[in-house]
Amino acid sequence: MLIRSAAVLSFSLLVSNAPVLAQTANYPAKPIRIVVAYTPAGTTDILARTIGQKLTEAWGQSVIIDNRPGANGNIGTEYAAKATADGYTLLMVTAGTHGINPGLYRKLGFDAVKDFAPVSLVAMVPNIFVVNNAVPAKDLKEFIAYAKNNQGKLNYGSPGNGSTAHLSMELFKTMTGLQMLHIPYKGSAGVLADLIGGQIVLTMDNMPPYVPQVKAGKIRALAVSTTRRSPAVPEVPTVAEAGVAGYDSGAWFGLVAPANTPKDIVNKLSRETARILKLPDVSARLADLGAEPVGGTPEQFSAHMKAEIAKWAKVIKDASVELQ
Amino acid sequence: MTELFSNLALGFSVALNLTNLMYCFIGVFLGTLIGVLPGIGPVATIAMLLPITFNLPPTPALIMLAGIYYGASYGGSTTAILVNLPGESSSVVTCIDGYQMGRQGRAGPALAISAIGSFFAGTVGTVLIALFGPPLAELAFEFGAAEYFSMMALGLVSAVVLAHGSLIKAVCMILVGLLLGIVGTDVNSGMARYSFGISELSDGIGFVSVAMGMFGFGEIIANLEQGIQREVNTSKVGSLMPSWTDLKMSFGPIMRGTALGTIFGLLPGSHTVIAAFSSYTLEKKLTKDPSRFGKGAIEGVAGPESANNAAAQTSFIPLLTLGIPTGAVMALMVGAMTIQGIAPGPQVMTQKPDLFWGMIASMWVGNLMLVILNLPLIGMWVQFLKIPYRLLYPGIILFCCIGAFSVNNSPAEVYLAAMFGFFGYFSNKWGCEPGPLLLGFVLGPLMEENLRRAMLISRGDATVFFTRPISAGMLIVAIFLLLIIVVPQVRKKREEVAYESAD
Repeated sequence: MLIRSAAVLSFSLLVSNAPVLAQTANYPAKPIRIVVAYTPAGTTDILARTIGQKLTEAWGQSVIIDNRPGANGNIGTEYAAKATADGYTLLMVTAGTHGINPGLYRKLGFDAVKDFAPVSLVAMVPNIFVVNNAVPAKDLKEFIAYAKNNQGKLNYGSPGNGSTAHLSMELFKTMTGLQMLHIPYKGSAGVLADLIGGQIVLTMDNMPPYVPQVKAGKIRALAVSTTRRSPAVPEVPTVAEAGVAGYDSGAWFGLVAPANTPKDIVNKLSRETARILKLPDVSARLADLGAEPVGGTPEQFSAHMKAEIAKWAKVIKDASVELQ
Repeated sequence: MTELFSNLALGFSVALNLTNLMYCFIGVFLGTLIGVLPGIGPVATIAMLLPITFNLPPTPALIMLAGIYYGASYGGSTTAILVNLPGESSSVVTCIDGYQMGRQGRAGPALAISAIGSFFAGTVGTVLIALFGPPLAELAFEFGAAEYFSMMALGLVSAVVLAHGSLIKAVCMILVGLLLGIVGTDVNSGMARYSFGISELSDGIGFVSVAMGMFGFGEIIANLEQGIQREVNTSKVGSLMPSWTDLKMSFGPIMRGTALGTIFGLLPGSHTVIAAFSSYTLEKKLTKDPSRFGKGAIEGVAGPESANNAAAQTSFIPLLTLGIPTGAVMALMVGAMTIQGIAPGPQVMTQKPDLFWGMIASMWVGNLMLVILNLPLIGMWVQFLKIPYRLLYPGIILFCCIGAFSVNNSPAEVYLAAMFGFFGYFSNKWGCEPGPLLLGFVLGPLMEENLRRAMLISRGDATVFFTRPISAGMLIVAIFLLLIIVVPQVRKKREEVAYESAD
């Protein structure tokens, strides 16, 4: 009896495994879909399209970008978490959906770690610390002194509650003991206009829209948020270099598949992504976004994601930011 | 001045290049098409076409995408006039009088005047960009949260003027609109309001769903109710072209609409819808006989249509000269520029003069193409009304559903549109007009966002609204307007009371 059920069990295992093996060998046999939980033409979308285009060229299968924006990326992420784990649905994740949101929302329709199989980290985008031209401080040290003399009086903008810009500044505030008031906007365009117009004094937002303004002398850059300087503004020091030792934040983007996607497929995608990210035209396009290509193994990405979730959970707790 | 001419010469040499002309035509043609199809807006279309522009040089790519945008604001009035369905969010106002004109057999003149008004506005907009682009764009920096709040307050007060029926009902509809606008995540606290745990509602109710439901679906239900007796407006299609009187009556509204639209287009975060609403309000205030409005007044089509097209043109100014997008479509243009390796910012003008001036010249060329394309089409659109309604309405509903779905690739928007369809039907029955509701819906969230931001920045000091000159000026106008609306009503009441007591 025992033997028979064991045989049945092993047989059923064999049967259920067989199509998976076949799938893996000739993957991809049909178009692949990359879900983007944000609106078209944003950084997440452009990165997904860039990777998608190169995957199509390499594998001869079309890659469809499926924009499912809304609720800070949660709608699309939840949608992808529930998709069939056959390697034909992928998701472009961000520091928002897989770093900040797990600590920010009390109730989420997905588990950032358990529901997904990490494929590869794709790119890092530093946040840039910029101030209005009327601010007398010439560097970050002077700014900290200036802000100490104006405790509670300065306003900083962010494109929304729980954005990397919001939490990066909260982290900065806890590490320096400064008090500044958060003024949330709907998107970076409003922050940029009010920063130039002097309605707000500073922000530490994702780099791309601010760099041309810095170069035109409309606002001043005091630092970048990552541990390494950005090639887009090599003369601007990092926050850590400029006096706040150990400071590190920023936006990042990565590719994941739903959990239980066959390991071979995940590895194949990961290797291909790493290859694509080394192509010169891809790095050029990423540079336009202020992004640096990363690549790496699924294990490295998994470790990165877990570290980010822990880091932001602490920032959110320390700054008592909470939604819903 | 010579510099301007050499710049324009450069611009036209780029715009009249055969490839660029072709992409400009594709853009405005597609724009007209999606403008005519209800619900399918420029945002969804540009998003779909973005991948194609990957492989195009920057200038034709951006010329084409821009063409889609202003082409859509041309085409949007068509369905508004023919079947009371705003093809584009900015043509909501056109529904009010345009559709009534259509019912009176004057669809031809309505369509023609909206094309002529749009062309004039587009031309003025283009000239303004060429002449004063950079200094005009700086205007945006004078506007902070306090100014935006006061502007919205002014808009809301004038919304009352929109109504042609009962004042109380109009105020109620505005309030319902304000409440509907509250649904979604609060910008300041990040809390979700009235979302009932449904994540699709956490970004609020979509404008497309409300507009399509209230106007389109509501109208269809009301028409079907009338069964076979439904009037066939084709039986009395009059002249296709506007008469000399029509043109004379439209001249002023086109001028004023263009001026209003030009200003609204420049301001980040404001809407072509607001431009159109303001123009309508202004025309209704200025006319000698306001009772004609809502019953097919040609000024109510000419003004708003010019305003929304002028706004569509000038909204490119902040983007091209400063790198600041003023709305969802402009944000997509930023993405398109980024894909092309152009960082939108103050440098575009100096570093890529061929792109900058080429785009400006192409906008004028595109506007010309649109008017040439649209005037002969009027005859065809009017024929469209001869299709029996039983065949026409399923098609309209189908396109509406596709349009609603395409907003976020989400079925939730379709359900919402259906719900608002029933609501629109019943409010129609009760004599409540959808116009004021939509304006409240658009202005409410913007007003709240800016009120609270202004108060945050001032640390709770409400006097900011009066100490900042632009803001104070607009609030004074709003109070003044409120008085002219309220005082006659009160006086009338008092006279009635006096009459009754004397009796």
